[in-house]
Amino acid sequence: MPSVKTKYFGTLPCAEGAVFDFPQGLPAFEQEKTFVLIESPEGAPLVFLQSIAHESLCFVALPIQVADKNYQLAIAPEDLEELSLDAERQPVLGAEVTVLALISLHDELLATANLMAPVVLNVNMRRGLQAIRRDSRYSHEYPIANHPSQRNAMDAQKNAAEEVC
Amino acid sequence: MLVLRRRAGESFLIGEEIEVELLAVTQQGAKIGIRAPKETVVLRKELKITQEQNAQAARGASLRDLEQAVKKLHP
Repeated sequence: MPSVKTKYFGTLPCAEGAVFDFPQGLPAFEQEKTFVLIESPEGAPLVFLQSIAHESLCFVALPIQVADKNYQLAIAPEDLEELSLDAERQPVLGAEVTVLALISLHDELLATANLMAPVVLNVNMRRGLQAIRRDSRYSHEYPIANHPSQRNAMDAQKNAAEEVC
Repeated sequence: MLVLRRRAGESFLIGEEIEVELLAVTQQGAKIGIRAPKETVVLRKELKITQEQNAQAARGASLRDLEQAVKKLHP
């Protein structure tokens, strides 16, 4: 089995099924065309998108439904086509796609998830892209671990935004 | 913010060299054409935000810090 050098876990064997092609790379990382999805029990619920080309590049992510259990997909038809998915409807989470929110850690108190631009993986074709939403329903800096009062404030803001939509 | 009202086919200028034309308006949105010098970067704002977010996300953190942060999510 081929192996991959990882930022967080040393060298890992990498199953073919965990390797995803990103034909467009990711915004700001357009040259990075291949990532391995690492789901390790000790890291759960975090998952990791490790670049094959660069050991030092590893995105930390949460399954979108963990970041926000009510998350509604709205992947643009062009993005669905790019992923070889039916552009007429939203794909089925789990069966057709895995959807990840990339995590940024700003300081020890604040981690945010990018719900505006989730990474969508076509699990059957093993192809991925970052699907930027066309609406403004979700934040690109959704606090996932924060001071409770701030979190409630963000939730309230988000609810307000949903009512507008 | 400066607000202009334009109909399809009408345009406006930004400085000497950039022209923005409203090509069509449909229920799905407005189609906009931009004429600008080659060296002018035109980027959807959400793409710029995503680039910045990705750069921030790639900076990473120690695994321990991340786990701590996520533990607060699922105490």
